[in-house]
Amino acid sequence: MATIKGLLKRSPDTPEAPGVHPQALWSFRPRSDREAGDAIVSNLLLHWFPSKVYKPSLDWSYSFWLGTASAALFLLLVVSGLPLLMLYVPSVERAYQSVKDIEYVVTFGWWIRAVHRISAHLMVVAVALHLVRVFLTGAYKNGVGQGQCREWNWVIGVVMLLLTLFLSFTGYLLPWDQLAFWAVTVGTNIASSIPWIGPTVRELLIGGRTIEQATLIRFYVLHCIMLPGALGVLFAYHMWRVRKDGGLAKADHEAVLANQQPVPPVASKTYTLLGVARGTAPTVKVTSVEAPDLTVSAVPDLTRRAAIVVLATFALVSILASAIPSPLEEPANALVTPNPAKAPWYFLWLQEIVTDTTIRIGSFTINGAFLGGVILPGLLITLLTVWPWLDRSSALSTGRWFPKDRRTQNAMFLALVLLVLVFTVIGMFLRGPYWNFYWPWEAWPEIPARI
Amino acid sequence: MAETPKDSAPKDRREFLWKLGTGAGVVAIAAQTVASLRSLVPNVSYDAPTTVKVGLPDEFPDGLKFLPDERLFVFREGKTFHAISAVCTHLGCTVRAEALSQPEDTTIEGQRLRLTHRFSCPCHGSRYRGDGAAVSGPAPKALAWYHLSVSPDDGQLTVDLAREVGQDFRLTLA
Repeated sequence: MATIKGLLKRSPDTPEAPGVHPQALWSFRPRSDREAGDAIVSNLLLHWFPSKVYKPSLDWSYSFWLGTASAALFLLLVVSGLPLLMLYVPSVERAYQSVKDIEYVVTFGWWIRAVHRISAHLMVVAVALHLVRVFLTGAYKNGVGQGQCREWNWVIGVVMLLLTLFLSFTGYLLPWDQLAFWAVTVGTNIASSIPWIGPTVRELLIGGRTIEQATLIRFYVLHCIMLPGALGVLFAYHMWRVRKDGGLAKADHEAVLANQQPVPPVASKTYTLLGVARGTAPTVKVTSVEAPDLTVSAVPDLTRRAAIVVLATFALVSILASAIPSPLEEPANALVTPNPAKAPWYFLWLQEIVTDTTIRIGSFTINGAFLGGVILPGLLITLLTVWPWLDRSSALSTGRWFPKDRRTQNAMFLALVLLVLVFTVIGMFLRGPYWNFYWPWEAWPEIPARI
Repeated sequence: MAETPKDSAPKDRREFLWKLGTGAGVVAIAAQTVASLRSLVPNVSYDAPTTVKVGLPDEFPDGLKFLPDERLFVFREGKTFHAISAVCTHLGCTVRAEALSQPEDTTIEGQRLRLTHRFSCPCHGSRYRGDGAAVSGPAPKALAWYHLSVSPDDGQLTVDLAREVGQDFRLTLA
């Protein structure tokens, strides 16, 4: 007891041996640079931050903090997933009933499920917007630092977006209701439309030839263990790379502007404070980082903003979860396909594409399932992945909104995003029974539920 | 100075052991990966059997009867039967039948066929004619026709969902 008190009481001015921290605990309100650096170095949760950050890269209007929001949502999903994991039963006989129990019987069950569901939807939005932001600001480009490879972090990011979508897809099978059953029927049939290997891939995905218990348990394990695990590992790597690449791309932009003459790189304050290896470590030109008016201590400037973003995300999700009830359709029924059978909103553009892309040339037919469900999305993902290597704009356009020499590619990218949005809106609002086109003011015809 | 065999022996041994160790490690990881992945490929199928008895012929009305469990339409015209799959060829949703106001008579593959219905898919809007031919929408091919027979033991209609037949197939009862 006395030792702990002694440790806590020790004054920061007490002379210490190098490497020994004057305080046992860190401060979120540091009074000196030393204390601010200490807060980073001696805190397990903060040690992945640099101790000094480039101030303009914290701007709300540069990054909109979408990556932080995505991470907060992922955290919320893991946390809200834990009670659900104990309440949900992954068996075709009991899955639907257990979700119904969570919704109507378990105390606060509806709220936990709603938090999980709303976070999942918002995470798709946040991750997608994060990708859009990174593209538009050319933040996958390397600037002035040594050893940067931001293009690979972009690739990791694209994989993380796909994992996020696949997590959603596996998640909505679990209630084993009509939406679940038919979404998986359509989704796995898209896989089976690949020539030669398709049927095998589908069989491996669903563990047989029909969607049954084997399918449910496979999707359950993917949803609860494999995909979140993979996402967690990639998230850690993503953050480490941001650190290695010298922080947000905005810092590079400002550094280039501040000093356009080539200057031999010098290990930055940021890294030497932590004793991270010099020389091979990425460095930012000394002019930008040493200017004291342009850098701030990560504690409290970065931590405060991150805390605001995380808390705001939690608050938003809590409010939405209380206001928006989670739907549960009828139990899965292999005998009746709902009419119309719609995918969740973020896959509606794909549903629209697979509808429109069956091509007939004479007697030769290419199934829209393959063209629209595999080839087109595959092309889109490939293009996204390799884009950093095709982008020939100058390093001056790194970390800036709408730079002149990236105008064409930004416009093309936005056009593609817009196209996806248009297809989504058509699928969401303008498609009725039998996937026929209806204007919003047109009434859908009465269709008997069964024949 | 040239190495004597005595000098090189320990180095060779070290190299050999290093390679042996690394190789063993790689083989072990590869074997475990293969074993884990192979275990996920089912050896036994618990899927529903493909040959199904669907009831006595007399239980089928003239015209169309939908069998939801088999996702199958069975057509009857007097003593003649044929069966068309209700699984959309695009992405596998169950199509719905709509009765035509006026039945049409056509000839398909040299056989007369009375078209009483048409089919539409609720998922992506494919449309099929009464004989299963894809008319519009994304469906890449016609609905499958399946083999029908009469079970010798109890006289029930039996459908073989693993045996597609041509559109001239008819089962005619004596």
